[in-house]
Amino acid sequence: MKERPGLDVSQLPLHGYSSRAPLWWGNLLMIVTEATMFAIVIGSYFYISKSFSAWPPRPIPDPDLLLPTINLIVMIVSLAPEIAVHLLAVRGGSQRSIQIGLVVSSMFLIAAVTLRFFEFNALKVKWDANAYGSIAWAALSLHLGHLIAATGETFVLTAWVFTHRLDEKHRLDLSVTAIYWYFVVVAWAVLYPIIYLSPRAW
Amino acid sequence: MNVESATVTTDDVRAREERERAILERTWASPPGLWGWLTTTNHKSIARRYIITAFIFFLLGGIEAAVIRLQLSRPENRILGPDLYDQFFSMHGTTMMFLFAVPIMEALGLYFVPLMIGTRNVALPRLNAFGYYVYLIGGVMIYVAFILNIGVDTGWFSYVPLSGPQYSPGKRVDFWAQMITFTEIAAIVGGIEIIVTAFKQRVPGMSLNRIPIYVWAMIITSFMVLFAMPAVMLSSSMLATDRLISTHFFNPAEGGDPMLWQHLFWFFGHPEVYIIFIPATGLVSTMLPSFTRRPTFGYLALVLSLVATGFIGFGLWVHHMFATDVPQLGQSFFTAASMMIAIPSGIQIFCWLASLWSGKVRFATPMLFILGFIALFVLGGLTGVMLAAVPLDLQVHDTFFVVAHFHYVLIGGAVFPLFGAFYYWFPKWTGRMLSERVGKWNFWLLFIGFNLTFFPMHQLGLQGMPRRVYTYQEGTGWANLNALASIGAVIIATSVVIFIANVLWSCRNGLAAGNNPWESDTLEWDTQSPPPPYNFVFPPTVNSRTPMWTRTADTPVVTGLRSECREVLLTNPLDAEPDRRYEMPGPSIWPLMLALGVGVTFIVVIFTPWGIPIGGTLCAIALIGWFWSGNRPEPNLPGQTREPLEDEL
Amino acid sequence: MSHPIKPRLNVAALRILIAAACLSLASCGGNHSALNPAGPQSERIGNLWWLLFTVSVIVFVLVVAFMLYGAYRSRRRNNAATDENAERRMARAVSIAVAVTVVTLFGLLVASVLTGRAISPPPSGDFLTIKITGHQWWWEVEYEDPVASQRVTTANEIHIPTGQTVMLKLTSHDVIHSFWVPSLHGKKDLIPDHEIITTIQADAPGTFRGQCAEFCGHQHAHMAFFIIAEPPDQFQAWLENQRKPSVQPADQLQARGQQVFLTKSCVLCHTIQGTPAGAHVGPNLTHVASRQTIAAGTIPFAHDSLARWVVDSQSVKPGNRMPQNMLSPEELQALLAYLESLK
Repeated sequence: MKERPGLDVSQLPLHGYSSRAPLWWGNLLMIVTEATMFAIVIGSYFYISKSFSAWPPRPIPDPDLLLPTINLIVMIVSLAPEIAVHLLAVRGGSQRSIQIGLVVSSMFLIAAVTLRFFEFNALKVKWDANAYGSIAWAALSLHLGHLIAATGETFVLTAWVFTHRLDEKHRLDLSVTAIYWYFVVVAWAVLYPIIYLSPRAW
Repeated sequence: MNVESATVTTDDVRAREERERAILERTWASPPGLWGWLTTTNHKSIARRYIITAFIFFLLGGIEAAVIRLQLSRPENRILGPDLYDQFFSMHGTTMMFLFAVPIMEALGLYFVPLMIGTRNVALPRLNAFGYYVYLIGGVMIYVAFILNIGVDTGWFSYVPLSGPQYSPGKRVDFWAQMITFTEIAAIVGGIEIIVTAFKQRVPGMSLNRIPIYVWAMIITSFMVLFAMPAVMLSSSMLATDRLISTHFFNPAEGGDPMLWQHLFWFFGHPEVYIIFIPATGLVSTMLPSFTRRPTFGYLALVLSLVATGFIGFGLWVHHMFATDVPQLGQSFFTAASMMIAIPSGIQIFCWLASLWSGKVRFATPMLFILGFIALFVLGGLTGVMLAAVPLDLQVHDTFFVVAHFHYVLIGGAVFPLFGAFYYWFPKWTGRMLSERVGKWNFWLLFIGFNLTFFPMHQLGLQGMPRRVYTYQEGTGWANLNALASIGAVIIATSVVIFIANVLWSCRNGLAAGNNPWESDTLEWDTQSPPPPYNFVFPPTVNSRTPMWTRTADTPVVTGLRSECREVLLTNPLDAEPDRRYEMPGPSIWPLMLALGVGVTFIVVIFTPWGIPIGGTLCAIALIGWFWSGNRPEPNLPGQTREPLEDEL
Repeated sequence: MSHPIKPRLNVAALRILIAAACLSLASCGGNHSALNPAGPQSERIGNLWWLLFTVSVIVFVLVVAFMLYGAYRSRRRNNAATDENAERRMARAVSIAVAVTVVTLFGLLVASVLTGRAISPPPSGDFLTIKITGHQWWWEVEYEDPVASQRVTTANEIHIPTGQTVMLKLTSHDVIHSFWVPSLHGKKDLIPDHEIITTIQADAPGTFRGQCAEFCGHQHAHMAFFIIAEPPDQFQAWLENQRKPSVQPADQLQARGQQVFLTKSCVLCHTIQGTPAGAHVGPNLTHVASRQTIAAGTIPFAHDSLARWVVDSQSVKPGNRMPQNMLSPEELQALLAYLESLK
C-alpha cells in the first residue's frame, strides 16, 4: 500500500434506483426463483391432468367464474395506485401523495386477499377429493402466500411512511415492493386462465 | 464517471492507512460476547460457521458410510437390521447432498467471493445470516429425529409411493421433507447473495472478462440454485401435504402420479450434481495458477464451458428415469444431452492439461489434490457417458456401478478439490499453513482408500448387486469385492482423521503464512491472513485477470469510502465502473429470530396445522422487527444527491 | 458367529442352506451378471458395454499420461512457458482434442441408439405374455391366456421356453420395484398404475437369478427371483401341470394339514386352487412344492426352512408381511406335509 494512487469515490452519490441498487437485484432474483416455482406448479397441473379423461374429473363441476374474475379485475386495477406510488417514490413525490397512494393500494390488497379466501369455495372441490383438487388448491395457496407477503410488506411500509420522514432508502423500498406486487399480479394473470378457464376448454 | 485520481505521498498513505484502519476496526467490529455471536452479519463469520457446520455434517455422513461398509463387509451380516440400515443409508445420502455438499460449496463462495472481488461484505448481510440459521435448524432437526430412531428410511430421493402416507406411516419422512425446505431456502438465499455481490460490488477494473473463474463458477452455480431448488421445495411440500392433510399429488388411486415426483425430484436432482461440481471446477481453475506459475489456460473457454454446463445440466434429468416408461424418442434426446455435457467438461480438462503442460508445476498438497481430481473425475465422467447410453443404463442403473460412478464424480470431482482448497486457503483463514508433510499422507491415503473402496463397486454392479440392499446372500459372489471396499473405507477414514489432526495441530503450530504464501494471483491474497472484518483498508483496483501479478505502483486503490459507517462501493455489473456508495446494515438479531420463526412453522406443521398460524405470526413479528430496526431515518449527508429518473421502471 | 445362542445358530444354519440352494440353482455369480449374457438383449448390451469400456480405457490412459508427463516435464523448467507461440500451439492442441471428443461422443451416441432400437420390444407379435406384479417383497407371476381357466398364477420363479421371445407386462401392487435379470436384459421398473412392457429371451436352458433393483422398503435386499429357461416341450409340460388345481391330500396327515391351512390365518392371505382358499395378499401356493425357493429366493423350499418360515418368518426376513403363526408341533408337521405335497 505504498505510494499507490487513490481512486477517490467520496463524491459518488449514496443512492440509486433500479439496477443500481443491490436490493433491486435481490428482489429480482427472488422473483426469478418464485416465478420458477409458479412454472413448476403449472407444469404439475397439466401433468396431473393427463391422468384424467375429463378435467375437472366428473362429477366435479367447472369452477365458478364470478368471484375469481372480480378478483382478477381488482388486482389489475390495483396496479394503478401501485404504479403511482412507485413513480412518486422514485421521482421525489411528496410524502402526502405517497401516503394517499399507499392507503389506496392497501385497500385493494385487502380486497384481493379477502376475495381469495372465498375463491377456494369457487373451485367447488376440496384439496383431499382427488389430485385435481390438490393441485388447484396448491396453485391458489401458493399465490395466496404471495398475496399475503405483498400485503404485509405494503402495510409495514404504509405504517412507516405515516410515522417517519420519507428518505431515499425507503423510497427504494417502496419501488421494490411495487415491483414485487407487479410480479404477483402477473403471476395471477397467468394462473387465472389456467385454473379457471382451461377446465372449461377441455 | 467524474472520479479523479490523486497521487498520494508515502507519508500520507501510511498515516491515512493507520487512521482508516482504526476507524474501520471500530465500525465493522461485531458486538462482544454471545450477543455479538448471534447478531453478526460479517460474511466471514457466517461463512466460517457454515463451513464448520457443513464439515461436521460431512463427518457424520462419513460415519454413516463407515457403518454401511461395516454392514456390507460380509454376506448376511446382522450388525444392522433392515430398519436401521435403511435409516443409515438414507441419512448418509441426505446428509452428503443436502447438508454437506451444496452448503459447503456456497459457504466457500460466501467467504471468498467478496474477498476475491475486493469488497467488504456480501450485498444483503442480514439475509446471509438468516440463510445460515435456517440451514442449521434444518440439519439439527433431522439429526435429532435420527437420534430418536425416527430418521428417514426411504433414501435421499424418497420415491413415492414408498415415502407416501400408506407405506411410510409415522413422522420419519415428514422430517425429511421439511429438512429439504430448510436447506433449499438457505441455498436460495446464499445464491442470491453471491449473484448480487458479484454483480454489484466488484472493484473498479474488474470487468466481466476479469472476474476470477471461481467467482464465475459461483455465479453460474447460484443461478442454477435459483432455477433448480424450487422444484424440490415444491415436490417435498407436496409430499408433506400428501402425508399430513391427504392431498393426492402422488396417489395413483385418486389421479395422482408417482412419476410426477420423479420428474420434479430429478429436475432438481440432476442440476444439483452440477451445483456441487461447478464450484469444484472453479476451485481447480483458480488454484492452478498458483501451482503452475501461469494464468489458467483458456479463460474464455473455461467460463463458457461452465455456462454451457449450467444450461445443459437442466436437460438431463430423465436419464435417471430410463427404466420407467419414458417414451423412446424422449430417451434418445436425453441420451444426446447427457453425452453432450461431456463436451464442456472435456474442454475444461484439456485446458487444465494445457496449463500443466506449459506451466512450472509445484507439487504442493493442493496440487496433488488437483491431479488426483483430474484422474478421478475423468474416470467418473467416462462411466457417466456409459450411464447416458440407455441400454447400458438399464443394466447398471440402481446398482453398485452407479454408486461407484457418482462417488467418483462427487468425491473425485468435488471432495478432492475441496480438500485442495482447504490446504490452499487455510493460511488465509488462520494465518498459518497446514503441514505439507502430513498433507501428502492425507492425499495419498485418501486417493488409495478411495479407489480401493469405489473401484470394485463397478464390478459389483455389473455382477448384479443392486444398491440399497442391507445385506446379500452367500453364493452371490459379491463377498470378496465388498470386503475389499470395506477395507478401503477404513483407509479413507484414516485419511480424514489425519486431516483433522493436521488442522488442529496447524492452528497452533503451523508456519506463519503472511498475506500471500502461495504467491497467488487473486485479490483475497491482498489482505491480511486472517482478513480483518472490513477485508481491505483501501479496496484495491485491478488491471488484469491476475491482479496480484500485474499490479504496479501506479495501480490505484479505492479511497473516499466513509469509514464511520459500513460503506461499500457499488460498481456497474458489466464494466465495474464506480457508480454509487452504499451503506450496509450492521449486526442484527432479527435474522436469527426469523429463522426461528420459520423453524417453528415447519416443525410444528409436522404435528398440527396450527404451525402455520403460529409460525406465521412469529415470522411476521420477526420481519417487522427486521424492517423497523434497520431503518433509522438518514440525516441529509453531503454527497447525497438525488439521482433522477432516466433508468426507472 | 460362535455364540451358543439359539437364534444365532439358526442363522448360521440358514446361511448354509441358502448357499446350498444357490449352488443347486447353478452357481449364482455366473447366472446373475451383465457380463455373462445369455440372451439376445443382454448380448447386444454386452457388446455396447465392451465398446464403451474400450473407449473409456483409451481415453483414461491418454488423459492421465498427458497429465503426468505434462507435470513431470515442467520440472526442468524455471518458468512457465507462456509466450504467444506456445499458447497458440496449445490452443490448437486443445481444439483438436475437443474435436476428437465430439466425434467420439457422436459415435457412441449412434452405437447407443442402435443398440436401444435392437433391444426394444417388438411392436406386435404372438408372444407368450407374462404379467409380473411387484409386491413388498415378492413377485406375482401370471401367465396370460385368452381362456380364463388356462391362466396360471405363481410366484418368484418364472419358467420360460428357450429360444422364444417372451413378453413381460410389469406393474406394481404397492410401491415401485424394478425387474432385473442381468444375464438376460436390463431392468424395467414396476410402477403402480403403469404398465411397462419389456421382452426377454434365453438362448439355452438355464436358471438365471434376478433381483429387485429399485429400493422398495425394508426387505428390498431379499426380493430375488429366478428365470428358469427350459426347452419348449419341457416348459409346456410345466405349464400344463401348473394349470391343474392343487393335488388333493393323499393321506391323513396331509388332510389334517389342509385343514390347518384352511382354519388358521394362512387362508386369509393365500390361494390354493381346488380348495376354498382364495385370498390374493400373499403368493399363490397351488403348486408351491414345485418351486425351489420361498420368500422370494431367500431360503430353499425344504422341510426345515419351510417350518421356520411358517412359524417365525420375521427372523428370516424381518419386516416381511407374513405374521407369526402360533401352531402346535402337530399342526405344524401336518401343514408342512400338506404344503410339501403341493407339486
